[in-house]
Amino acid sequence: MSHGGLPGGHYQPLSREQVESLHEAALSVLEETGFSYEAGLGETLRMTEKFGMRMDRQRNRIYFPRDKIMEQVNKAPNRVVLYSRDGKNDLHLEDDRVYLGTGGAAIKILDLETGEARHTTLKDLYDLGRLVDQLDNIHFFLRPCIPKDIPESLYDENVFYTCLKATAKHIMAGVNDVDGFHKMLDIASMVAGNSEVLKAEPFVSVIASFAISPLRLCTHSTRIMQEAARHQIPVALSCAPMAGVTSPITMAGTLVQTHAEQLAGIAICQMIKSGAPVLYGGIPGRANLWNLGYQGGSVECGMMNAAIHQLAKHVKVPNYNSSGLTDAKIPDAQAGWEKAMTTLLAAMGGSNYVHHAAGMLNCMITVAHEQFVIDDEIIGLCCKVLAGIPTDPEYLALNVIDSAARSDDFIKSAHTMKHMKTEYFSGNGVTDIKNWDKWVKAGRLDAWKRARNIAKQILARPNPHHLPDGVDSAIRNKYDIRL
Amino acid sequence: MFDFAEIAKNLAESNQPRVRELVQLALDQGVSAKQILDEGLMGGMSIVGEMMEREEIMIPEVLAVAQFMSSTIDEMLKPLLLEKDMNPYGTALFATVQGDLHDIGKNLVIMMLEGAGFQVIDLGIDVPPEAIVEAIRENSPNMLGLSALLTTTMPMIKTTIDKLKESGLRDQIKIMVGGAPVDQGFADEVGADGYAPDASTATNLARALAN
Repeated sequence: MSHGGLPGGHYQPLSREQVESLHEAALSVLEETGFSYEAGLGETLRMTEKFGMRMDRQRNRIYFPRDKIMEQVNKAPNRVVLYSRDGKNDLHLEDDRVYLGTGGAAIKILDLETGEARHTTLKDLYDLGRLVDQLDNIHFFLRPCIPKDIPESLYDENVFYTCLKATAKHIMAGVNDVDGFHKMLDIASMVAGNSEVLKAEPFVSVIASFAISPLRLCTHSTRIMQEAARHQIPVALSCAPMAGVTSPITMAGTLVQTHAEQLAGIAICQMIKSGAPVLYGGIPGRANLWNLGYQGGSVECGMMNAAIHQLAKHVKVPNYNSSGLTDAKIPDAQAGWEKAMTTLLAAMGGSNYVHHAAGMLNCMITVAHEQFVIDDEIIGLCCKVLAGIPTDPEYLALNVIDSAARSDDFIKSAHTMKHMKTEYFSGNGVTDIKNWDKWVKAGRLDAWKRARNIAKQILARPNPHHLPDGVDSAIRNKYDIRL
Repeated sequence: MFDFAEIAKNLAESNQPRVRELVQLALDQGVSAKQILDEGLMGGMSIVGEMMEREEIMIPEVLAVAQFMSSTIDEMLKPLLLEKDMNPYGTALFATVQGDLHDIGKNLVIMMLEGAGFQVIDLGIDVPPEAIVEAIRENSPNMLGLSALLTTTMPMIKTTIDKLKESGLRDQIKIMVGGAPVDQGFADEVGADGYAPDASTATNLARALAN
């Protein structure tokens, strides 16, 4: 039973005053430091000037006066719905409602037979989609890996086709460029019937990494972001500064910079099209200062991601961010503690669309089928916390106490039978609670091995067809599909 | 016999005033600037490099040591060194490939290589293959370093190397590749001469390739 969409917000690392002061600080950064920009954004810059932003063409910077930028940010919808094609996993992104799912652009996967890392293929993407399709606590499928066995020029059509075939859950991915965006739009429209149906209830969305931290507009990705806004396709405005390298080392400094970057991106989208559905996409994270890699598994990343939700909520835009990252190379105890801590903080923090939360290892370079199974369990447990403790009379069970206290037989009571399968979390089977002897008899399986068995069982099930035959062949006739 | 290990140790431990003292002492004793550079300062960077390879020192500290070594050379040794002493390994060209904007790792490698005796030309980020071909024609470097941080821009390393082959330049240059998603397997696939996972290994590799 999925607990997607329950309200978080129990964990608020920033006080109300801190949220306000960080918001004000970000507005000052936008007004006084501003953004730099790459070449080729002339049209965008002229547009922002029309809406009251200030250009300094000599210094190549753009400044955003606080009331002007907030005027734009306030046009962003407070609620974005990302649809699933079967209605079972629609994502109502608003307030503190929490959904978690996959994500990443991994290039390696742990082979299900050998446990060795090998390059990810298009078939891996399909299999992972099928796997996630059957894991109830993973609420959406954001492309988790890059198909290394096909040419780069064919990524977009193949990634979206493959994801759409594998699962009916909401699909999100990046695109190579504006052309790639249109391929995605075309394919998704073919699946929906036409583009109007798609736009009314979008079951696909895109990511645009529009900002290069610190505070620089990336031409290529800004164009994609603008195209998505123009076409009313929901877009996550991803920016991922690394504390100590592309943002200040301190959490507060990283939060301020990230918030500033987000306000600029949201504003630009609203200038392109007022009311464009966007996700506040700031992902505060760390640089691993020992080797300059990305470090996302530390508890402070969990704290910062909860704090950034508070900032997103302050400007009333639903947010996209991360949890479940780890530096562990295999599904081991470190993967367990880094993922459980960051995902629990994300859920209790109330972030709306938390990606990376299932499947990732080795700071985003590797995925593993088994890890998706384990993370499905972790996400389920974290969301269960949001369900709280019901205390109405049925749950207080006073009459049950009364009768069973006299005869000491809760275990035979109808009340126990009624609630025993739903009161407590029951997951996909990877959590082992059998006694020692049975565990030994079953082969002394650790979590990784148990997860492997579950993954294999799920993959052995027949492939459900999430693309009707006519649509499937129409897409294959029009595009070079390599699956 | 001057104790260069003392200079090296103090440099690696960031005891900056002590390094300056010892360098001055060595100069006063008539030790050659080249020897101080090679055995004292580069010796210290070598220690730092090894620590970096073992992930036992944080990168900001590595940068601080490299910066300090650079200023010590400029202020105390440069006037006394010959051109050939400064760049015994020749010229290297470095770039982050087209489509990729990440450069901190590349910049660290460049800093270490300069410290190790290379002259390095940094072409920057998002560099198209054509620009690299052009720069090789202009500068005749003996080494090229290519970096990509995104899994989606790694293929551009191959495209760049292929372009060099097309232009007939591949044979006159040694190519090393790097970046978080890159590994030895990838380096072999794309026909690079070497791969290094960090700046310290890169420095050793560069020296080996230069010989």
